[in-house]
Amino acid sequence: MSSSKNEVAALDPSSKKKVTPIQVLIYVFLSVIAITYLLPLLWVFNVSFKSKWEIFSAPFSLPKEITFGNYTFAWNKAHLGQATLNSFIVCVVALILGMLIGSMAAFGISRLKWKGSKLAMTYFLTGMMIPIHCVLIPLFTRFAKITQFMNDQGFENFHLTNSLTSLVLPYLTFSLPITIFIMEGFFSSMPNELIECACMEGANIFQIFFKICLPLGRTGLFVTGLMTFIGNWNELLLAMVFISDETKKTLPVSLSKFVGPYNTNYTQMFAAIMIAVIPTIIVYCAFSNKIVDGLTAGAVKG
Amino acid sequence: MDKMLRNKKAIAFFMLPAFLLFTLVLFVPIVQSVYYSFCEYSVLKPPKYIGLDNYKAILSDKTFVIALKNSMFFLVFSCVSQLILGLFYAALLTNIEKGRNLFKNIIYLPCVLSSAALGLLWMFIFSPQLGINQLLEKIGIEGPMWLSDTKGAIILPMWVIAFVALWQYVGQSMMLYMAQISGISKSLMEASYIDGCTKPMTFRYVTLPLIKPMVATAMSLNAIGSLKFFDLIFNMTEGGPNHKTEVLATHLYQQGFKYSKYGYASAIGVVLLILCLAVTLFINKVVKTEQYEM
Amino acid sequence: MKKRKILATIVSAAMLTTVFASCGNTDGKSGTKKAKTNDDGSQEITWMFWDDLNATEDLISLGYKQTIDKFNEDYKGTYHVTPITTNLEEYYNNLNAKIAAGDAPDVFIVSPGPQLTDYVEPGVAAPLDDYLAKDGWKDTFTSDAVFTQQTYDGKIYAVPLNTAAACCFYNTEMFEKAGAKVPTTWEEMLDACAKLQDAGYTPITISANTAWCLSMVAGYLCEAEGVDLAALADGSASWEDGKLENACNKLLDLSKYFQKTAGGDTNDVATANFYNEQAAILIQGSWAIGQINGANPDFESKCGVFAFPGVDRVIAKSDSLCMSSTSACPDGAAALIKYFTDDDAQKYTAEKGGKIPVTKVEYDASVAPKQLAYVMDVFSSAKGTFGFYNESMPTTETGSHFDDTMVSVILDGVAPADAAKDMEEFYAANCRK
Repeated sequence: MSSSKNEVAALDPSSKKKVTPIQVLIYVFLSVIAITYLLPLLWVFNVSFKSKWEIFSAPFSLPKEITFGNYTFAWNKAHLGQATLNSFIVCVVALILGMLIGSMAAFGISRLKWKGSKLAMTYFLTGMMIPIHCVLIPLFTRFAKITQFMNDQGFENFHLTNSLTSLVLPYLTFSLPITIFIMEGFFSSMPNELIECACMEGANIFQIFFKICLPLGRTGLFVTGLMTFIGNWNELLLAMVFISDETKKTLPVSLSKFVGPYNTNYTQMFAAIMIAVIPTIIVYCAFSNKIVDGLTAGAVKG
Repeated sequence: MDKMLRNKKAIAFFMLPAFLLFTLVLFVPIVQSVYYSFCEYSVLKPPKYIGLDNYKAILSDKTFVIALKNSMFFLVFSCVSQLILGLFYAALLTNIEKGRNLFKNIIYLPCVLSSAALGLLWMFIFSPQLGINQLLEKIGIEGPMWLSDTKGAIILPMWVIAFVALWQYVGQSMMLYMAQISGISKSLMEASYIDGCTKPMTFRYVTLPLIKPMVATAMSLNAIGSLKFFDLIFNMTEGGPNHKTEVLATHLYQQGFKYSKYGYASAIGVVLLILCLAVTLFINKVVKTEQYEM
Repeated sequence: MKKRKILATIVSAAMLTTVFASCGNTDGKSGTKKAKTNDDGSQEITWMFWDDLNATEDLISLGYKQTIDKFNEDYKGTYHVTPITTNLEEYYNNLNAKIAAGDAPDVFIVSPGPQLTDYVEPGVAAPLDDYLAKDGWKDTFTSDAVFTQQTYDGKIYAVPLNTAAACCFYNTEMFEKAGAKVPTTWEEMLDACAKLQDAGYTPITISANTAWCLSMVAGYLCEAEGVDLAALADGSASWEDGKLENACNKLLDLSKYFQKTAGGDTNDVATANFYNEQAAILIQGSWAIGQINGANPDFESKCGVFAFPGVDRVIAKSDSLCMSSTSACPDGAAALIKYFTDDDAQKYTAEKGGKIPVTKVEYDASVAPKQLAYVMDVFSSAKGTFGFYNESMPTTETGSHFDDTMVSVILDGVAPADAAKDMEEFYAANCRK
């Protein structure tokens, strides 16, 4: 898009470097919007340095003295490092497998010729409408039963419940519909000639998928990958029910640790939120520029 | 080539992993859930078939009616507001060059953050004595009870939560529209400029029709997202005060996990499921998904 | 098209059969778990609790952590306890899930009342009488009455660890300046509130957002009116007999003295209002002592306690531990529960935690928070105890419905008579079978 803009500007020399009043207005408006987005986060950042007493008496002022007590407490006591690692493992594994399996199926539906392909598409798409709450109970009891069965068979160390695998499986599965949905669109829009050409040059179906279609669809993979990664990274409900072992908890679960039976350690919770959020923001900034590249470069070539 | 595309083994290779996973981890549990909805089932006692009793109970459940109404409100609000604002942002951002990435990143930022954490943050900002009300007090205004006022047809907390949800998720719609806009071939745009179209006209007559398929997609995603809506409400009001901000998902959660009424909760889940299906079909019928050559 | 339909039917039919076939055997509780043995030969015991022992600041929870550490030290090589913790919100949900999966924790905490009933009735919790009878364990408790809420059909299914009583905390300084005196009757209470208000103070801080806080006051008012929950549950009394209506009217009278933001304040904020000296009276459970003193240590000397006026009995609540009936290591589990009621743990409960111990332990009253002595006074001069209203009703849901109804009276302007009608309808539909 940005390249097309440049060329449009080049066609019309008078618009070059001239800032119109409308553009000024747009910038002012966007700046206001940006502030509403950043201010709440800065506020949490501010509060996370305060004492428990200050948060009720003077929540908006700058902290009297900057202490990292809340941070060290949150980091040491809530196993946030371990939790971040767990979240990362779960999300990356689910992401890679989800993208691979999802785009394989999308390719199978959009490019391979078989009778049930439309039906299969409908079948997968229904998954987008299924709320995760519905599968919670049946899934959990099923996992538990499989674990019990395997343990009875003598596989003592087999654990499907209370393991990261028990999160990867549903996360991966719930990412399939959206991956298939978006990737199917990408694969369908690819020109037939592309595949015919590759076929004539002697490529087999796997080479066509892995070497041609998948790389060409990377824009779509970025978008879907980001969406599913974020969704899983922040998922709370399944993680809370499936994981009870301290060392296997994921990040969102750890954040809620500060809500005790009769009171809540707000300042420490906000510190924990910052610990959880800052790396996400840093990674996001780096990653999101790549997406912009992907969106422009990957803009359909035909 | 045709032979290659019809190869049974290749089809199985591409389809089977997704099909098996999807069936075992998603579809079978759903069917099981449907079965549970005809049972009296608390997790400590085995399911007992009771026919339609759960569904009859739903009809006389006052909280369910409130939850349904609230869910419908979120559905309409998020579809309309995200469409307008998402497109508006996308249009604005495609019209500037400097700082586009910066603004886009900022607006998209809350989407990547945990809505559980953000819900807690907003709960604090909208709490009766702290946050916004403390600022308002300084200029002499007594702020309303943002999250516990219960007057009006759509109560204030619902509006507050709806706007927080809009704030958080509009970036996603915006991204989808921007992705689609950037997919429009530049020759088409150039052609329209050469034909004397102004930027707004190009947007209206070239861009808008071309992103229509994405509108249907984004809208269905919004619709289902708002029906599944859970995290923010759970962290901001927990459905309170007095179940006034309950939505279907929180009601289901409460019945299922707080009161262990798995059978009843499954019945709510089935209603939710049917609603999701119906709404998606409706949107896809209304917003026709014609594919233009781009 | 036809073929597709047929295919779809066959697929879904096949799935349905597998599902229903597998549903048939879901009731199979797999009996006793296999005992897990650790590397050092010790048997593994799991203990499930609703607060994270490493992250908490709650003094009682920290005491539990000490007890467990001590147990692990003393029984090294024999037993080893691993705590499983969740936050309170997810606790029962997680516990139920584990039980359903045949992975019940050996020892777990439960609130007395319908929650406990949920685990006693299906046989999840084991009777503990045999263990209590051994080595005179039961004799260490203050009286047999501490087990009242934990006894079903003459058998004890849970061991209480400590007791907290719901009292009125008050700011002695504000009372003095306003010329208010500590109330003993309902009229005096309103009078004291009026004086406090005239002096420019907010008389009462309370949370209607955290529904049980308001419902606790409503419970006291119902008690004063003579509401009989047992008779209501079996249908021999009606909610519409005017008692609840009177209680609601009293609640409305009292609500004139609540802080303006009572409807939106959470429990934390309401309590903070009190220890930050923005309101004169806080009606709370005595577990708040640790919270108050922890947040504002200077406040301890100004904080007095009086019993809720016009009521003879006092609302009490205890943390109780159950043992799983499928535990692979019941002796270890019982030994663990016993550690929570030994002298060290009970001493800590009183001196540090500010809760009332359940055993006859002697503790140093001068070390304990000042408020504990006041609470003990309230407790000993009361004619008896009763449970939280929402935990004394037939089901958890009924309790929540009561909470919500009380909130709707304060917040939505629901007429007391309508509230009574609503409760009666709910009982008729859900509680009397």
